[in-house]
Amino acid sequence: MNEKTPHRRPATFKLDDPGVVVIGPDETTRPARGTVHITPEADPVTLPVPIEAPLVRTRRGFRWGALFWSAVGGLVLLGSGLGVVNLIEDLFARSETLGYVALAFAVAAALALAVVIGREAFGMARLAAIEKLHQRAIEVLRSDDRAESRAVVTDLLKLAHQNPQLARARAALTSHADDIIDGADMIKLAERELMAPLDEEARRLVSAAAQRVSVVTAVSPRALIDVLFVFVAAMRLIRQLARLYGGRPGTLGMISLLRHVIGHLAITGGMAVGDSLVQQVLGHGIAAKLSQRLGEGVLNGLLTARLGLAAIDVTRPLPFTALPRPALGDLAKDLLRKRDDEA
Amino acid sequence: MAPSFSDLVEEARLSARALLDYGDSFFNPTVRLGVTGLSRAGKTVFITALIHGLTRGGRFPVFEPYATGRIARARLAPQPDDAVPRFAYENHVRTLIEERRWPSSTTDISELRVVIDYQRQNGADRTLTIDIVDYPGEWLLDLPLLSKSFEQWSAESLALSREGPRAKLAAPWHQHLKTLQPEGQEDEQAALAAAKLFTSYLRACRDERFAMSLLPPGRFLMPGNLADTPALTFAPLDVAIDGSAPDGSLWAMMRRRYEAYKDVVVRPFFRDHFARLDRQIVLVDALAAFNAGPEALHDLEAALSGILDCFRIGRSTILSSLFRPRIDRILFAATKADHLHHQSHDRLEAVLRRAVAKAADRAEYAGAAIDVVALSAVRATREAQVARGREKLPSIIGTPAPGETANGEAFDGESEVATFPGDLPENPEELFNGGFRGLSSTASEQADFRFLRFRPPLLERTDGDVPALPHIRLDRALQFLIGDRLQ
Repeated sequence: MNEKTPHRRPATFKLDDPGVVVIGPDETTRPARGTVHITPEADPVTLPVPIEAPLVRTRRGFRWGALFWSAVGGLVLLGSGLGVVNLIEDLFARSETLGYVALAFAVAAALALAVVIGREAFGMARLAAIEKLHQRAIEVLRSDDRAESRAVVTDLLKLAHQNPQLARARAALTSHADDIIDGADMIKLAERELMAPLDEEARRLVSAAAQRVSVVTAVSPRALIDVLFVFVAAMRLIRQLARLYGGRPGTLGMISLLRHVIGHLAITGGMAVGDSLVQQVLGHGIAAKLSQRLGEGVLNGLLTARLGLAAIDVTRPLPFTALPRPALGDLAKDLLRKRDDEA
Repeated sequence: MAPSFSDLVEEARLSARALLDYGDSFFNPTVRLGVTGLSRAGKTVFITALIHGLTRGGRFPVFEPYATGRIARARLAPQPDDAVPRFAYENHVRTLIEERRWPSSTTDISELRVVIDYQRQNGADRTLTIDIVDYPGEWLLDLPLLSKSFEQWSAESLALSREGPRAKLAAPWHQHLKTLQPEGQEDEQAALAAAKLFTSYLRACRDERFAMSLLPPGRFLMPGNLADTPALTFAPLDVAIDGSAPDGSLWAMMRRRYEAYKDVVVRPFFRDHFARLDRQIVLVDALAAFNAGPEALHDLEAALSGILDCFRIGRSTILSSLFRPRIDRILFAATKADHLHHQSHDRLEAVLRRAVAKAADRAEYAGAAIDVVALSAVRATREAQVARGREKLPSIIGTPAPGETANGEAFDGESEVATFPGDLPENPEELFNGGFRGLSSTASEQADFRFLRFRPPLLERTDGDVPALPHIRLDRALQFLIGDRLQ
């Protein structure tokens, strides 16, 4: 329909006319020439629209926990401030030079604290913005709202602005901004343009982390080292993924992100059982036959991979609709192939 | 024009009313949904489908509170105004489903109240009341008269009647007009004759071949209970805009009656039904205008912008909802979208967007949310691809209403046809520049568009239960109009 077609004249065909043949949508037989063929179409409006359920329900109502921690934090800050003031006064009483040195330290500490808090706040705001964007995109996919889809894409472009790899994709997307595209299609277009290279990279990150974990588990002498290493690798992976998709999590940001990832893992864990438990058991079984340590390594790697997938879901600013969601199966294949090669 | 005393009184009455309503809705949240549309735009069908979908359960995937199951139920409730007839929802559904006929055109105002029991997203149980009013679309054309004097209106009506295809239809009235002397003695018989000729000219303009929209005053076409009263016995005169009428002249009589018409008919209608709206859907039947020709399209545009000027649009604030309620969401809907293949819906939306561009800009500037949608409250057709030789035509299949004709063939209302109505242009300006031929200027074989009227769909009944009506984007319209009130 996009190419310029000359205006076609209206036409009407009676279905019971002998020159008219009605063909079912699946029939492939070619009726006689010279007749008019009518193929009823599936109803586009009633076709199911796949929409994923919101990942983690946004909280509503008053957050008493947040109030508690804020209040406690304020008290601690006041207490330590009082302590520092006392200390500086004491030092001044003893020697003016020491007092000035302490004052300088205090000012530097306060400055650094302000910067850290600012960065944390910025990081949290950015994570919240990404999450909000994700919700809005889901909303648009459902409502097909054209104006809102434009707003989402504009925000997404702003978010992606810092990533130099996406310069061309951004330009392509901007050029479509004025075309007549339905809301949901616009989101899908944005996903294909902007998210595809990032998804590729994310997949690479996850499978690299999973491989590292499985190797370390296989060769590490002590269980404690495994646990520590898995934890560190997981944190690193989540941070990398968040950065990849445009987040800038600080320490607090990482904590909230970790909570979301684990929450998401808890929700999707049940769904994932069907598709991957078999593979896990199988992988574990075969590898375990080769060696017990190797089996544990593969298992840990798979767990890391699953964590990474959950982290992708949480940190990605758009839901998976046009592009396939990376499945554990693909990553597990990478993992096993690598292990087999090395074994 | 400085506001006159009667305008101020009217304003005060509206504010008092608003305050009263606010008190009510404080305890019982209410949305007044204005279903606006010229005659034959499909108001009655829209309201029927909306109520049916809400109360009997429809397929509404996009209407979030409904799709996620937060709406426990919706029920009909006694309406608030005791003097207004009840909207005959049950009859209309029966007509639609059993007789497979569209409800006949609305002749009088009616009202219905729907109460929705729902659970908020945070879990609290709430109810929302929706008041819906149905009225003859012709009456809507009166609203722009509120701000016009008799002389202004005369001049505009006359100018309009001398243009394009209207001139031919207005010829008998014009002839009679020449014999009238506005400044002469008042004459009841002359006024009667003029009103009669003027009315028949308006009626002629409404014919499917012309499909004119801008035909005030509306009660001339749909008099309700005021037929033959002096308030409906007047007609435009050929008088100067700034002239003044001598006492006892025909001009003075006509002017008095025109003012009486505004006082008796237009002001109460506006006060009771339009000054209090919260949300508004404007239904527009653009397809009839495509059938008829470019003049009808321009007429439609002018009529819509005149009507929309009368509404009070803008972002709601506490103060405004206390004294001067505003419409904060407007949805422009191109109805009968089922008469087109869905590939063309975007183009239909573009045409409508172009037709209401001025009104929409103004509303957006005032802070109201605007959306444009191609919808069909009751979907009468299926879609199909027709292959004729090498040509592939995106078409629709349905049962045309008895008496509809195409290619010189009349349909009996039983057999199904597949029809391709003609390509809408990619750029809506082409239509507004008069680049197409309609029934008003050419024979039906030559017209660029042919939108047949279809009968309502044949629905499968499941043992005694009233089936859900199929629709196109009715759920999206609902989500836009009341979705935010059901959060």
